[in-house]
Amino acid sequence: MNSTFLNRLSHNWLTLRKPVSRLQAIGLGVACVLVCLAGWWFLTRGAYESRIVGPLTLPSPAETFGKFPELWNDFALTRNVLVTLRRVSIGFALALIVGVPIGVTAGCFPRVHAFLSPLIMLGRNVPLAAVLPLMIFIFGAGEKNKVMFIFVASVAFVISDAARAIMDVSARYIDTAYTLGASRWQTITKVLVPLAAPTIFSACRQMFGLAFGYIMLAESIKIADDVGGLGYQIQIFQRRGFREHIYLIILVIPMVALVIDQVLAWVQRQLFPHVYGGDGVLRSLVRVTLIPWENMKSRAFYRTPTSLPSVATAEGPK
Amino acid sequence: MSQPLPASPGTASHEHVVGMGTVLDHVRTPREVLRPHIVEFRNVTKTYNVGKAEEFTAIRDVNFVVEDIADKGEFICVLGPSGCGKSTILRLIAGLEPQYPATGGDVLVLGKPVIGSGSDRGMVFQDYTSFDHRTVLENVTFGLECLHMPRKQRDELGREWIQKMGLNVENDAQKYPHELSGGMRQRVAIARTLALKPRIILMDEPFGALDPLTRLNMQDLLVKLWKEVQATVFFITHSIEEAVFLGDRVYLMSNSPGTITEELKIEPANRPAHEMQRQPEFLEAVYYIRDKITKLESNP
Repeated sequence: MNSTFLNRLSHNWLTLRKPVSRLQAIGLGVACVLVCLAGWWFLTRGAYESRIVGPLTLPSPAETFGKFPELWNDFALTRNVLVTLRRVSIGFALALIVGVPIGVTAGCFPRVHAFLSPLIMLGRNVPLAAVLPLMIFIFGAGEKNKVMFIFVASVAFVISDAARAIMDVSARYIDTAYTLGASRWQTITKVLVPLAAPTIFSACRQMFGLAFGYIMLAESIKIADDVGGLGYQIQIFQRRGFREHIYLIILVIPMVALVIDQVLAWVQRQLFPHVYGGDGVLRSLVRVTLIPWENMKSRAFYRTPTSLPSVATAEGPK
Repeated sequence: MSQPLPASPGTASHEHVVGMGTVLDHVRTPREVLRPHIVEFRNVTKTYNVGKAEEFTAIRDVNFVVEDIADKGEFICVLGPSGCGKSTILRLIAGLEPQYPATGGDVLVLGKPVIGSGSDRGMVFQDYTSFDHRTVLENVTFGLECLHMPRKQRDELGREWIQKMGLNVENDAQKYPHELSGGMRQRVAIARTLALKPRIILMDEPFGALDPLTRLNMQDLLVKLWKEVQATVFFITHSIEEAVFLGDRVYLMSNSPGTITEELKIEPANRPAHEMQRQPEFLEAVYYIRDKITKLESNP
């Protein structure tokens, strides 16, 4: 009797890969947060001396969240978040501007890829903590150093992911484009890059999350005064022994990362409706902005070919 | 091999009729053809990995000639056991690597050697090769876009072709390929090729992945459109019925290394596929070819 009940419960709740409704998924997520908070509260309840985990290791939830106004007002949380975000964004944007074209070229031409592969290997495997002191020699201790650190940390990954995405596009699309009269350049711009773009985008979206982690490393090296940023703040709090603030920042970082990731996910859906469904607002926008450029090319290059009869005569029998 | 079959190459025999087909006593040579040649193969051989351990000859000494019938074009079907190099022949005409260039011999289109690919030789593949990031309309107008045809003009042509292919312009033009069925995707692929009015259309088992009913519909549609575009069609298929129904001529190929052993002239299709494919004369031709291929497969 009891076992059949358990059986039924396990079948209803743990069916293999059964999809969960959105409401239930959110509910389960909230439940997880509550369980963690409860555990935290349980470990740190009561007077300082009688706690299971001492206050020097882990302050109680009330103590931690009580410091939030101080973090927000006195330590300018928003300003520091924005400072950090700006550094990651500029560094990562540079990595994209440099890395995507190089990666696409490497993906299109195996000779270029073979030539670049030692550099890509080096860039992917270099120990970043060891590079940081070098970066200070080269770029100083200011903003430039931090931005360039993010660039160096991510550019090799951007290149290799872009190259891989291009190489993974099936050769039959190239054959098709060629037999439809596309030139090599047109095949790259109209077929290979657009087909690889969703893969490149989602790889970069994941990498942005990693870059957000690297910036903490760069910011925690303090040479100049008040460089700002979340990593710098953690460093300060550690020196002053403000445990509550550090825990708060550790909780804030994933939330910021989540917001950014959701924004990127939206951009992704709107850019690639053929992969993610939806109405593709950004894709339409991109196409509309390209229309004048395309019209200009039509005016410059299009000659009515003799082999292509006009619409009116295509129908008529000979 | 003991059973004496008439019209095998090399033996001195004459043409004979099998149902709605006529088996020629040999594969025609350029001298026998009066009209200009649209495609000609002269002793074409393709060997991969020359000089290495895994050297492999896909086709050897392939010779054939297809004449350029003005305002019509011929429908050539290529049949043969798997791996006999049918696709190699098609891709050599298309100028697609790695089959192109041939290791030996000449591949001539309109008397000139093939140099690379071009939209004058359109190709439809078995795999769905719709560009997934483009809508149906953008897929159909891809080649025209590559010619820099102004947007308005090419969209108009594209819509016309979508309609001719039996798709609904209003509903389907803005769909993405993943929203379409296999048959609809192949319709888009065919429209995309035909919109460029190629002289030669190369079709590598285009209906191979379709269900039987869709396949028959597509055959009828293809016959109708082919009459309109007036191109020479090379059509590879595993279905003998399909070859006899669609083809003006059928080339039979033998196995490793592949070569063309026999040429059949077939009466043109003049009625819907499901009707025609029940006629005794039709079946006689099909059975004749089936016996031949079975023999080729068991006796390479």
